[in-house]
Amino acid sequence: MTKKYRTSFLHFSLPAVVKWAFVFFVFVPLIYTFILTFTGCEKFLSNFDQLDAVTFLLLLKSGSIALAVALLSTLTGTFLGFLLYKMHIKYGSFFKIVLLIPLFLSPYILAVAWKDLFFMLLGETQFITSVSGLVLVLTTIYAPLAVLITGNALMNIDSQIEESALMISRFGRVFTRIILPLIKPALLSSFVLIFIFSISEFSVPAFFGVKVFTTEIFAQFSAFYNHALAVLQSSLLIIICILLLLGEKNYLSEAPFFSIGSKGTKTRTYHNKKYEPLFLSALILWITISVVLPFLVLFVQAFNGGTSQIVKAFELLKPTFATSFWLSLTGTAITLFIGLTAAYSSVRGTGKANLFDLILLIAFATPSIILGISLIKFYNQPFFNFIYSSYAIILIGYTGKYTFISTKLIANAIRQVPLSLDEAAQIAGISKSSRIRKILLPHISPALFGAFIISFIFNLGELGTTIMVYPPGTEIMPIKVYTIMANAPQALTSSMTLIVFSVTLILIGGFYVTGKKLIKIPQE
Amino acid sequence: MKAIRFLVYSLFIVLLVSCTGKSNEVVVYTSVDQVFSEPVLKDFEKETGITVKAVYDTEETKSTGVLNRLIAEKNNPQCDVFWSGDPVRTIVLKNKGITTPYESPAAKDIPGAYKDPQHQWTGFSARARVLIYNKSLLPDSVPQSIFDLTKEPFKGKVTIANPLFGTTTFHISAIFSALGDEKAKQFLTNLKNNDIIIATSNGDVKKRVASGEVACGLTDTDDANEAMKEGANVGIVFLDQKDSLGTLVMPNTVCLIKGSPNSKNGKKLMDYLLSRSTEAKLATSCAQMPLHKGVKVPAGVPSLDNIIPMHIDYEKTAQKLEEIQGYLKKWVEN
Repeated sequence: MTKKYRTSFLHFSLPAVVKWAFVFFVFVPLIYTFILTFTGCEKFLSNFDQLDAVTFLLLLKSGSIALAVALLSTLTGTFLGFLLYKMHIKYGSFFKIVLLIPLFLSPYILAVAWKDLFFMLLGETQFITSVSGLVLVLTTIYAPLAVLITGNALMNIDSQIEESALMISRFGRVFTRIILPLIKPALLSSFVLIFIFSISEFSVPAFFGVKVFTTEIFAQFSAFYNHALAVLQSSLLIIICILLLLGEKNYLSEAPFFSIGSKGTKTRTYHNKKYEPLFLSALILWITISVVLPFLVLFVQAFNGGTSQIVKAFELLKPTFATSFWLSLTGTAITLFIGLTAAYSSVRGTGKANLFDLILLIAFATPSIILGISLIKFYNQPFFNFIYSSYAIILIGYTGKYTFISTKLIANAIRQVPLSLDEAAQIAGISKSSRIRKILLPHISPALFGAFIISFIFNLGELGTTIMVYPPGTEIMPIKVYTIMANAPQALTSSMTLIVFSVTLILIGGFYVTGKKLIKIPQE
Repeated sequence: MKAIRFLVYSLFIVLLVSCTGKSNEVVVYTSVDQVFSEPVLKDFEKETGITVKAVYDTEETKSTGVLNRLIAEKNNPQCDVFWSGDPVRTIVLKNKGITTPYESPAAKDIPGAYKDPQHQWTGFSARARVLIYNKSLLPDSVPQSIFDLTKEPFKGKVTIANPLFGTTTFHISAIFSALGDEKAKQFLTNLKNNDIIIATSNGDVKKRVASGEVACGLTDTDDANEAMKEGANVGIVFLDQKDSLGTLVMPNTVCLIKGSPNSKNGKKLMDYLLSRSTEAKLATSCAQMPLHKGVKVPAGVPSLDNIIPMHIDYEKTAQKLEEIQGYLKKWVEN
């Protein structure tokens, strides 16, 4: 083997190894389950017959709800993101963290708090448990995701472009013709991610008693033990998500997209003293609705009988802190590493990465319970016991669920780094790995950090897959909260929720402080 | 080199996270609420020195997570003992060939009605289905029979958990077993016509009644007991005590998993769960009714001797449940 050939082989093998590892550990179990379902089941044809007009109408209903949530969340998130990341707003940094709070908790807990709040205030829960109420609650939960995604993109806009445009045109025109088109990838990512989250959401509609497609899948799985039909129905969800992603890719490739954010320049922020009180009021109003009100309910319930339940809740949760932390951190590191590799191949590669994007999407769009069952069916073999009976199975679950998100966020950031920087370094004879380490990574560090935070939060709260596969005797924070909350006093449940929230907030705060010290965006 | 280094690191991480040591342990999956089951399992650990590794279930998964996990693990069982809050799930496992017989000496005094004839499962501490009502909202007239719930004075005032899941499914199929299909369907139609409210779980029923959102609802004794312990202004009624129907009594059940890795310790745990002392503990913590005669219970815990039970065969009722699931799904949706 010549030196040149060996170099070339090794050069391309790292991303390949990463991708094959994901394919083997996550995708093969899914395919294995789907093949078992479609080939090994005698009832397959009869199950197929059950995919009738009613099923598709239900899918349409779920799709419409997800569409409404994705649109409302992205619109609200973009508006709030603009206020926080592009305007001078008092206490902006504080608001940025407070706005993220709904992401720290499970949607189920927030749904319970919302319902209790409506009952406390109005004495009835008819509105909140309707389709409109479901859309409202899901929007308050997912809008912070849109703030984070669009906010990052807004920060990355090259100030020179905005300033040049402002010299010849008024702000409104610059906003619609320059800023919005520049953050289009982020807007689409936000829309797609929130749509997928909403259409896959089970706990909130189930709690509100709104029948949607996921509750139907759950009924087949848990009431009829018809795993085959549940998997078949899940594949419809996956197909919708794939079509959505393909549409997004197609749209982006045809759009007059140009590289933004040289990152060497400071982002432009706007002052508007006249409207600042109005903007501040809008922010406070949103925070009151999405954060203060549901938390008020949790506080009232937790401290209803003094502080004894808080102490008890802390004692119950104490053994889970260390395990939850290091599992989430390891899972986040893995998802970020795979996400970075996949995103780089997707944006700067030859186009072959599209297939891997699709694999990531399928894993992400597969309902948690189906992913859990697939992992059990594949790994619960004597020769895989070292994986199945260890923490590795939880990490595989995290990786399958959330690598897609990391990949999307990182890919958007890579798109925003001018290719010319890489080309100039290449001409200067700098190797590819050095170019990635010294040019690309520092430029996308804020997005990497954002992806880290989001992945960490999601890993820390992951329940759907983990509950199916966690090794016996393992104590993890979300599992403990959910298993204790059945039949525990309301004060104890609310206390546990507040402790989980506080722990998450402290960790995220710690990461922000560390991140602020470590991340230095290169200057031109 | 990078790829090799990456592989070595990855292997190291996998080995690091997969370090597990099999020792003197027993693995138990339980659908019984963790607040009640964990203290019992901890006591077993203390008394025997055997480490208990437990998988608990959640309210959100309607307590079917462990059952589906057991079904999926059938070919390579990881679990030794399944402790269920009702007989249905154990019977589902038995019918799928996942359990193995074990005749525990500790269950000798437990009446035959609460045991599988082939010893595939054994019952202990029982709960009952009761009516929980808000004393402020129903100060005078409280329903005494399930049929009262279909009457005009209670229109829109009664809640029941989704009958597709949990003990409510079992309750409805017991009604089908006891009344026959025709009468049972008519009863459910009348309930629907009386604007019954469908809650997500028995816990949700308890919460709605305790908060005053709904006047009354059907739930399990442990949920009702929890509401009273929390100081809610609620009362409970054992329904149909003056007619032949009676109240549904649901024992906990425990079974040994076929091909389990620690079956010897599994049997020890089963003996422990089926003992009088466990029944006494469950009577104290969640007002469950012992099946052994003469177990001391705190004041306020009902006795099976004072309740007219619904006369049903658990196996046949579990079978009925499978038959009516499709009907129940339509009933919920329409």
